[in-house]
Amino acid sequence: MTAYDPCAHCEEVMQQYMDRVLTDAERAEAETHLDECAYCRKRYRFEENLRQFVRHAIASEPMSIELKTKLAALRTPLQ
Amino acid sequence: MSETTRDPDARHIATEARDRVRFEEEALALSDQVYRVARHLVGSREEAEDLVQETYARAFRSWRSFQPGTNLRAWLLRILTNLNIDRGRRQQRSPDMQPLEEGDYFLYNRLEAAGDGGPSDEEQVVERLSQNDVVSALSEVPHDFRDVVVLVDIGDFSYADAAQILDIPIGTVMSRLHRGRRILKKAMAEHAVGGEAA
Repeated sequence: MTAYDPCAHCEEVMQQYMDRVLTDAERAEAETHLDECAYCRKRYRFEENLRQFVRHAIASEPMSIELKTKLAALRTPLQ
Repeated sequence: MSETTRDPDARHIATEARDRVRFEEEALALSDQVYRVARHLVGSREEAEDLVQETYARAFRSWRSFQPGTNLRAWLLRILTNLNIDRGRRQQRSPDMQPLEEGDYFLYNRLEAAGDGGPSDEEQVVERLSQNDVVSALSEVPHDFRDVVVLVDIGDFSYADAAQILDIPIGTVMSRLHRGRRILKKAMAEHAVGGEAA
């Protein structure tokens, strides 16, 4: 049997914590740990920064004007 | 008997035309978001453009089956992902069973270890990744996992919407998301700091 490791547990629930899908009790437990533990807090902040970074990194290429025009042309012509 | 002189059929046609125009305008207003998701579901810009065009052609044809008041963005992406599957792009099953030992802190730990050893804050650690690392890493995530990561992390869909779009149970969304994010992190670590840890 292995001892309960609060940092391993925090790592396990980190993504769900960030997705805001934990129950109130789980969320409170995660927040208490993050308040107390610099190791996990640092990694939590990294995860938050990482999500933003990933989102920006891959959102840089907008749809072309040509495609927009083609989509508009697919509309049903008015009678 | 009736004071109206208008033919009920004509009135019906006018109402329907108005609803259709509104539907088409609302759908087109979402096209940037639809494209953004499509662009990361398929390999190339050309494929994404074709897929978005096909999606809108089908959406405009079958607009009557959209239930007003429900999530139009999710409805459009449901069409898009179905078309994408119909194109037979995923022949291989994803390696669900392949072991993946790395936990959630894996990427941070690898990037931090790759630094000069001094103390580093979280932002500096993120900066060790380049845009290319992210783009290449995402393209290496197997389709089933990538679909979920793209919808939730880039498209901002809820687990429930992603489940509806992909027609899979919500539990499958959660497990694929969990695994997909870890595969992505592992791939990002490999791009940013090379293969196995020293």
